[in-house]
Amino acid sequence: MSTEKTMHIVQRGLGKRYRQEKIFKLMGLSAILFSLAFLVFLFSSIFLNGYKAFYQTAVSIDIFFDPAVLEVKDPASANYNGLIKESLRNAFPEVKKRKQKKNLYGLVSTSASFHLRDMVLADPGLVGQTKTIWLLADDDVDMLMKSYIDRDLPQADRRMNDLEISWVDKLIAEGRVTSRFNIGFFTNGDSREPESAGIMGAAMGSMYMLAITLALAFPIGIGAAIYLEEFAVKNRLTDIIEVNINNLAAVPSIVFGLLGLAVFLNFFELPRSAPLVGGLVLFLMTLPTIIITGRVALQSVPPSIREAALGIGASKMQAVFHHVLPLAMPGMLTGTIIGMARALGESAPLLMIGMVAFIVDIPTGITDPATALPVQIYLWADSPERAFVERTSAAIMVLLTFLILMNGTAVYLRSKFERRW
Amino acid sequence: MIQKSVTIIAVAVALLAGSALGTSKAIARDYVSIVGSSTVYPFATTVAEQFGKSTKFRTPKVESTGSGGGLKLFCSGIGVSHPDISNASRRIKKSEYDTCQANGIEDIIEVKVGYDGIVLANSKKSITMKLARKDIFLALAKQVPDSKTGKLINNPYRTWKEVNPSLPDTRIEVLGPPPTSGTRDAFAELAMEGGAKTFADLTALRKARGDEVKILMDKLGIPENAYNEKGKTVFKLVAHSIREDGVYIEAGENDNLIVQKLEANPDALGIFGFSFLDQNEDKVQGSFIDGHLPTFEGISDGSYPVSRPLYFYVKKAHVSVIPGISGYLEEFTSDKAWGDEGYLADKGMIPMPDEERTKFSTDVKNLTPLVWQ
Amino acid sequence: MLQTLSSTTPPVIESGNQTKTRARVSRDDRNTAGHPFVDKPRMSCRDVNVYYGDKKAINSVSIDIAENEVLAMIGPSGCGKSTFLRCLNRMNDTIAICRVDGTIKLDDQDIYDKKIDVVPLRAQVGMVFQKPNPFPKSIYENVAYGPRIHGLADAKTELDAIVERSLIKAGLWDEVKDRLDQPGTGLSGGQQQRLCIARAIAVGPEVILMDEPCSALDPIATATIEELISELKLQYTIVIVTHNMQQAARVSQRTAYFHLGDLLEVGQTDKLFTRPSHQLTEDYITGRFG
Repeated sequence: MSTEKTMHIVQRGLGKRYRQEKIFKLMGLSAILFSLAFLVFLFSSIFLNGYKAFYQTAVSIDIFFDPAVLEVKDPASANYNGLIKESLRNAFPEVKKRKQKKNLYGLVSTSASFHLRDMVLADPGLVGQTKTIWLLADDDVDMLMKSYIDRDLPQADRRMNDLEISWVDKLIAEGRVTSRFNIGFFTNGDSREPESAGIMGAAMGSMYMLAITLALAFPIGIGAAIYLEEFAVKNRLTDIIEVNINNLAAVPSIVFGLLGLAVFLNFFELPRSAPLVGGLVLFLMTLPTIIITGRVALQSVPPSIREAALGIGASKMQAVFHHVLPLAMPGMLTGTIIGMARALGESAPLLMIGMVAFIVDIPTGITDPATALPVQIYLWADSPERAFVERTSAAIMVLLTFLILMNGTAVYLRSKFERRW
Repeated sequence: MIQKSVTIIAVAVALLAGSALGTSKAIARDYVSIVGSSTVYPFATTVAEQFGKSTKFRTPKVESTGSGGGLKLFCSGIGVSHPDISNASRRIKKSEYDTCQANGIEDIIEVKVGYDGIVLANSKKSITMKLARKDIFLALAKQVPDSKTGKLINNPYRTWKEVNPSLPDTRIEVLGPPPTSGTRDAFAELAMEGGAKTFADLTALRKARGDEVKILMDKLGIPENAYNEKGKTVFKLVAHSIREDGVYIEAGENDNLIVQKLEANPDALGIFGFSFLDQNEDKVQGSFIDGHLPTFEGISDGSYPVSRPLYFYVKKAHVSVIPGISGYLEEFTSDKAWGDEGYLADKGMIPMPDEERTKFSTDVKNLTPLVWQ
Repeated sequence: MLQTLSSTTPPVIESGNQTKTRARVSRDDRNTAGHPFVDKPRMSCRDVNVYYGDKKAINSVSIDIAENEVLAMIGPSGCGKSTFLRCLNRMNDTIAICRVDGTIKLDDQDIYDKKIDVVPLRAQVGMVFQKPNPFPKSIYENVAYGPRIHGLADAKTELDAIVERSLIKAGLWDEVKDRLDQPGTGLSGGQQQRLCIARAIAVGPEVILMDEPCSALDPIATATIEELISELKLQYTIVIVTHNMQQAARVSQRTAYFHLGDLLEVGQTDKLFTRPSHQLTEDYITGRFG
């Protein structure tokens, strides 16, 4: 075959080859655009649903700290609610009927009395004075202010009747209604009142759990990976162990919850709903992932590094810990963080060990009852009050932020420690 | 450096695990532990929060496990690792009571807290449905009596008009909870059974025993393998079976989801608790059942037929041991909580009549244990 | 003995001038021509067989390595020269399926004896690999690592001295003395290989094994390493495996020719390259195969 003829044949096929390449590139690009579109849709819908939760309506009311009410044996248990009711009656003297009064008191959050109590306990000098105080508005008022309640609907069809709306309008006209940053959302524990519900309790619960998971899964997972990869004799037994580890990594997380219930709660009698148990369950769940990624990271370290160390008389242990492990560490850390991120988003196994619970107090230790961020989202999504809808989205945003931070850390660590050899 | 940090972590882990396992059995619980029904959950949590914030006790922990799951945990034993209180959207069963007794929980205080209505609702964009329980049974049962022969046949009805000529000519499409839900149990018991009882043969079957059951089963065309000596069991099997041909759509436990789906699909009806209707009056409307709308008053006085009592159960032996139980009971049974004007009513719970409230609050005060008759 | 020979000798040899070969074999070395043994050996190997699983890779090799000599091992690919080299400091131990029998003695001590610890052995018999493999650490740390794990230096100044001495011996000091804290992986290929030699020297070995140390280097870097080898032989015993016959001729005093797991011929380098005794050796060095 002459060169000319060969070139002719090559030229003929060239167009087809380039076309195939182009089609493949286009398909890849459209797949990415498609998933990006979904991501944008997801994020924007969560954001649009949730961003208003970061603002909160408050109303200001003139409160007279009545000594007759407050000077009792135990100031902590005085009738602070009575003070608020009194002030509201004074602000709207025309409200006389019992049912209407009840609606009037409903303008202010039921948690407002605790706010007053804390103020008085912190500064007993307040007693006897009259102060204008910003109090949390009820979630219905908040919903009205955020235009979730449609004023044009017939009165019977909305959560607030015309009279209640007229009160709010009067307060607005007097400049007594404001929208302020919702600090409580980040500092409070859970609450049945949407206006005082916060994410802090769940976030702390998640944090304690992840701390335990990390403290156990990282050393044990890395240790197991090193042993299996560098020291263990390759035989039928290690093959069986490897198959089992790979299987465990794919076991549905709820199974680990059942295991936790049987072992930690029923056998060891650890406390229910405690981050300790949650952390142990998530540790079991993430361990296989960490072992597998750890082994892959060790395999990716070139054997020449091991030989170099062994060749000058390092013991096997020294070769592994001084040279192989530092090189495998970025990969191991990436695997660990991805495992942790999965653990952070997990709620199914926690159901079994009693962490799907209503917990108001922010946990202060690993044996305190606690819940976790995804569980909090689930509980709020299932609550009837309308105001929990936006809080659910806001909590998802908080969880996503954590996940993005963790995955970002994984990417950063990988690029920082990745070495050429 | 790495060796050092590995050593430090290993020591920390050992200490942590050691202390955790070592001290676990001795941890005294200083908060009340409550488990049980997801229907009672919103009310129990409200009381718990009020109690926790207005006293120096810690806020009780409330888990939503479902009535059955809650009572199982509750009856598993005495001691800090077992819950103190279990909520239930039905009365405790004999079998559960026996388990409790067997596990040393001899004295259980039963507290009825109020009522919950189960509503059939549709979007405000559609007309209000006027249903009878018979219509509900005919629309949703897996097998219904044939209008001519009276034998049970697979449910043939596709539109409401076929069920009852006075109803609109729209496709039957109902979103409701899955079989694991307490709401579903109550719906089957109250609405479906109520509808089934309007058929003479089925009512007879319910009361029949032994050979009578066989005769009635033959008459109704029920296969023999469903036979039970008690006709009531066979009756329940018929009345509780909900059709599986796509007309009834299981929408998960999340009632909010059902409300959203109703808004999107005006022809569909949804089954959920009254509190969700109460919170979403601008989007959905309750249907008439046997001439009564699901209203606060209607459920309270018992005229609305599909309503159920809500309970919680307390271990007497725990009251003096776990701090806060008596305070929590006092808070729950106070008028400002469960009274006609109480905050639980605001949350959608239907209060009991005065005399019932008095009875149960006295029981709580005296810690009168439940005696199974 | 002859029966054993015919059953274990590969068929290629039978087609060669077997009579000539056999005429020179002693009782111990059977099919090895030339002079495998010396008077005062630093290392001596007798009847070394190496198996990978069921496969025999080295077939009854016996050879001595003299003090302060450079012994080159040549042969076609897959002839077992690297495998044999790795027996000399028990690097083959790291391969699970590899089994070695026979005796290998370093200064009259059997290195495969159960009582022998490989860690000090590898300090005595250092190794330089085919591809430069510095640790991804600083130049200083690369050299200091060995002395540090063996506890050869008590004080920082002592360690500094060892590092400097080793780098000087490896002919790298002038090039890197100002950047000891920079990564060893940043050096050029030839420099990296000299760094690896310095690293091996730093633990004070008696024997240095080099496994094709120049195969990944350019001719200039190769020349530098070859010069270095000639200097190092004054202090160390060096065994070098090479593919490059000119290199063997340039740097070594004695050369061993391996063929399919057999050691066919050992002799003075100049003699082996000019007047090989074995037909296959001649075929190989004249480029008929390989």
